[in-house]
Amino acid sequence: MSESKSARSAILAELRRMQHHVPWHRRDEFVGASLLALILYAALLPRTGSPSVVQWAVIGAFFALALAWGGLILSDVRMPEWVKTLTAFVLLFLGGWLFYRYSDADWERLSHVFFNWELMKDPMEGGATGWDILLDGLWLTVQIAFFSAIFSTLIGLLLAVFRSFENRILNIFIIAYIDFFRAMPIIVLMVLAYYALPYTGIVLDAPVAGVLVLSLNSSAYVSEIFRAGILSVHHGQIEAARALGMNPVQTMRLVILPQALRVVIPPLTSNYVASAKDTAICSSITILELLKSALQFQAFKANPTAIIAATVIYILIFVPLTRLAGVLEVRMKTGRAKA
Amino acid sequence: MNKEFNPEVMIEVIDLHKYFKDLHVLKGVSTKITRGEVVAVMGPSGGGKSTFLRCMNRLEEPSSGKIIVEGIDITSPYVDINKVRTEIGMVFQLFNLFPHLTAIENVKLAPMNVRKVSDAEATERGLALLEKVGLSDKAHNYPDQLSGGQQQRVAIARALAMQPQIMFFDEPTSALDPEMIGEVLDVMRAMADEGMTMVVVSHEMGFINEAADRILLLAEGVIVEEGTPEQIFKHPTQQRTQEFLGKILSV
Repeated sequence: MSESKSARSAILAELRRMQHHVPWHRRDEFVGASLLALILYAALLPRTGSPSVVQWAVIGAFFALALAWGGLILSDVRMPEWVKTLTAFVLLFLGGWLFYRYSDADWERLSHVFFNWELMKDPMEGGATGWDILLDGLWLTVQIAFFSAIFSTLIGLLLAVFRSFENRILNIFIIAYIDFFRAMPIIVLMVLAYYALPYTGIVLDAPVAGVLVLSLNSSAYVSEIFRAGILSVHHGQIEAARALGMNPVQTMRLVILPQALRVVIPPLTSNYVASAKDTAICSSITILELLKSALQFQAFKANPTAIIAATVIYILIFVPLTRLAGVLEVRMKTGRAKA
Repeated sequence: MNKEFNPEVMIEVIDLHKYFKDLHVLKGVSTKITRGEVVAVMGPSGGGKSTFLRCMNRLEEPSSGKIIVEGIDITSPYVDINKVRTEIGMVFQLFNLFPHLTAIENVKLAPMNVRKVSDAEATERGLALLEKVGLSDKAHNYPDQLSGGQQQRVAIARALAMQPQIMFFDEPTSALDPEMIGEVLDVMRAMADEGMTMVVVSHEMGFINEAADRILLLAEGVIVEEGTPEQIFKHPTQQRTQEFLGKILSV
């Protein structure tokens, strides 16, 4: 007892003695000097398209040091905010520096091959320009995404509602369905649906097969989301509804689903976005959606500009959509969405 | 039924047993609740009070025994329990208001969808009920904009909107801050005065003493003692009752 007491007072005495002592790694001299060292090091990074093992080690060590230096500053409570901001920029710059040193690109040739916008305006056989083809592809992409969102919601909701009845046999089937479609790569299913199913006598048009596979895949996720939403409704809600004389269907329709839907909208939105991105997989079964159209242009003109254009279109559409999902999530968290 | 239906008996419980898996919660409870009677159910926690109440509208399925509500044996599988439940209003400890609906929508929901009352009529009656519980100015507020006491009063209005013959209260004031208990008990007292048949699981001694016609003391799954508040509070005969009253009075 007395021993631990004296040990504790020794610790306190040490703390009192050291309270204004700045450790060496927190000193401005050290931090500044290590920045200079890093800049020198960066200038010496190997400049080659295929580094040797030793050169990889040199590059790796450089980034380890740079991150350690950045972490030191960002975690220091004494550092003013502007130093931290500067540190963040330095770290980003160093990342870009590696690409620049390593790439050794011929920027002029690069821009001629990949950003040949003139070529996109050239009419091809049949008179359509590259842009026309891409816009047709985009329209098909939108349609596929729209219909698979509708069908996956219907199937997923149905599965979630039936699962909530907790019938043993049905649930085994529903869980197997969900596991299967979550485990299977979409492209495998799509190839099977389009190329193998005809042997069983079921012949689907390519877009139908695409929508079918995307819907089935997405419905597995949608059903899990709805299930989580239904489970999030407090049991007392069901009891209150039943005590008022509502039957199970009325309880589900009037009390559980309206509450579950609120919880479910943000994850559902991000699921739709993810599923819409998966429309690109339809290119593997001859569907002329956005990616396939771009690939076709590339095949005709032997130029990949259309793929860059498709990339830009994907970004323009999906960045706002993913943002939207995030915004909805925040709004749902901060309060009730007023009807 | 071998017995004649006696309109004065609202609920008759005959040898009610309830098991949760191996746990024997109710061990043969029998009682009669007559029209207009206010019955308070008291007893130590885990004694089966809530289970007893919830068996009487089959929120819990009774394991054995008979429960006859207005001459209808609700343990019979041929009875449409949803119809029976419309005759039994229930108020919960945690209010269980529907959070996605305003106060008036909470009150209207069941009459419109179960009783198929028109929107106009349900609104009119709902507003009257909210006025009765002193909340006509909160009709368009959502539950999370109301205090606990206000929520519980809306819950009472919601139950009354089905025009039940009998009201169950499952610890209606246990989740409330002390200063809000009074407003809920006032509403309940007014209902008792109007002659509503009520079964109240509660430990509000003042309210019970004043409003209850009879106390059932339920402990370890059996009715240990029953009688008027006067008898139970002043002259308890069973040792179990004395122990229990000693505990709640020493708080």
